[in-house]
Amino acid sequence: MKPAWRADAPVPLEWKSVLMLVILSVAGLGMFAWPLIIPVSAESGLGDNSPLIFIALLPLLIFLVLAQISEKGMDTKALAILGVLSAINAVLRPLGAGTNGIELVFFLLILAGRVFGAGFGFVLGCTSLFASALLTAGVGPWMPFQMLASAWIGMGAGLLPHRLFGREIRGKAEIAMLIVYGIVAGYFFGIIMNLWFWPYLMGPAMGTGADLAYIPGGSFIENLKRFGIFTLITSTAVWDTGRAIINTILLALVGAPILAAFRRTLRKAAFNPEVEFVSDSR
Amino acid sequence: MTPVGVSTVPSTRPAAQGRSIQAYAARFFAPRLLHPGAWWAWAIGCAVVAARTTNLAILALVITVICYTVVSRRTQAPWALAFRLYVYLAILIVVLRVFFRMMFAPYGPTVILELPTLTGPGFLSAISLFGPVSAEALLGAVASALQLAAMVLAIGAANALANPKRLLAAVPGALYEWGTVVVIALSIFPQLAESLVRVGRARQLRAEAGRRRVHLIRNVAMPVLSDGLDRSLVLAGAMDSRGYGRSASMGNSGRWLTSVLLVTSSLALCVGAYGLLDTGFTPIWMGAPMIILGLMVGLVGLRLSGRRVMRTRYRPDSMKAPEWMVLATAAAACGGIIVLGMTTPEVAFPPIPPLTWPPISLFSLVVVVVLLLPALLAPKNRDGKGQNS
Repeated sequence: MKPAWRADAPVPLEWKSVLMLVILSVAGLGMFAWPLIIPVSAESGLGDNSPLIFIALLPLLIFLVLAQISEKGMDTKALAILGVLSAINAVLRPLGAGTNGIELVFFLLILAGRVFGAGFGFVLGCTSLFASALLTAGVGPWMPFQMLASAWIGMGAGLLPHRLFGREIRGKAEIAMLIVYGIVAGYFFGIIMNLWFWPYLMGPAMGTGADLAYIPGGSFIENLKRFGIFTLITSTAVWDTGRAIINTILLALVGAPILAAFRRTLRKAAFNPEVEFVSDSR
Repeated sequence: MTPVGVSTVPSTRPAAQGRSIQAYAARFFAPRLLHPGAWWAWAIGCAVVAARTTNLAILALVITVICYTVVSRRTQAPWALAFRLYVYLAILIVVLRVFFRMMFAPYGPTVILELPTLTGPGFLSAISLFGPVSAEALLGAVASALQLAAMVLAIGAANALANPKRLLAAVPGALYEWGTVVVIALSIFPQLAESLVRVGRARQLRAEAGRRRVHLIRNVAMPVLSDGLDRSLVLAGAMDSRGYGRSASMGNSGRWLTSVLLVTSSLALCVGAYGLLDTGFTPIWMGAPMIILGLMVGLVGLRLSGRRVMRTRYRPDSMKAPEWMVLATAAAACGGIIVLGMTTPEVAFPPIPPLTWPPISLFSLVVVVVLLLPALLAPKNRDGKGQNS
């Protein structure tokens, strides 16, 4: 509805925040994909455990970005809505947690990002995963990475176009676009979380027939091929497809009414209204 | 510190003011509310212990310890009574996990239940549901479910033992707004159940309950969502009128400095992390020194950014000996379970295929007993009074 950089968005992003988000995204991508791009050797600074440093660094980077986003002060209405939606996501998450792949969090995240903007989507991805980790899903080394991945999904939903060839995207076209995005997001989340725990799960290849493990310092193409087979076998076929199907069904069934409810709240809330002083003299 | 001339305020301190051991013990055990951070640290310690073991016996002991501590040290406040909800949730998690395990590939050597195997039609034939259910698969499911359940109960315990509203005061200023969001989410979580009940009652009043087809989305889910959104605006109004979420202006130069510090710090951290990993081509200064520089600049930036939040504290929580004791038990239990996992992995993570009783070592019992100490040694909560501040 409103671009995230406008001052009247629920969570406005100044250009400094955008710069921080770009740094975080590049760094985060590196932290997910390090087995593919960084030639880690046994002689590196911390030995075999060196990638564990990412688990400590990523939360800190996320804190820094959040501090920059809120640096100008925040509208309490945005805080309250973020709190309520995070709580709802925390309720929805364990309902799907039993099967690992069917997470109900994303469809609400996508709809909220679409209506309330990219900044809101980013923060909601962080806070709902954090709150649900505190409440139900458990805090662990994977949490900052899940936070970042879902923050990307929420932010991406806020960046989807609002106009195409001069016509507003609303109604069925909007739902169709969100469904396509939901399918992409479902696979994206599965693949990138797989990429994160792939080296921990399989360990580095020792040359004994472990065709799915990564080769430390191996070529990008070779490692990518191995990871592709690994993720296809372990999860893409079943879990990620399940997540994409659930996203599709939910968005098709409840997408429109929830979008309407969000838009009504957005109108009622009137974020950071521009105060205009009009002289009373006639 | 306590201001001079507090005689009009009823003193919360015990009469004992001396230096003898009895006086010290009386002060230590005097009933009062502990700093919420202490109970949260203890709860996180319990969760870490549960996360680092799949031993059914240890998990059961940890759950027992959590429940005992809650029962013996909680207050009469409404959020303390909500512990029941966490217990229900924990039970639901165990039931769901076991059910899903029965549904997806419950195979193993010891079959205890014969269920028919359902295979998907056509191209889905690779997926099969149910089938012969083995004791090993079920035990594995129960172990992973109990891990989750123990974590849920630990967080529930923190909610029951510590006043969640006092947590707001402990979040650093730079993250004040986001801390507020999380606290709102945590405290609204139980309210959603209440919202569901209200929607159900409204449907009964409209004589909708007897209808054959209940439109779950239109009649239940959407009203709960709208109710939550409306309430959030009311909450925002209440917060606004009390001055929450308002920040002092820092002036343009201060804001610029903060932003420069935050950006510099995150860049330094990224370069440092890359330098640590890729030692082949990068000079030495790009490793640990960069990380330390990034950490320091980041802390200063967060500190500066927190200056815009002007808060005064009414009766601030202080960290005293009992709080340090609770913190120490949490740290000791975390360290203990990690050492247990490294020295005797067969106790911390007993392999499931041999169907035996979970092994218990003396050291694993010590870890659990350490977690029990706060229930025995921490001061009791005052009953009923002064819980709402």
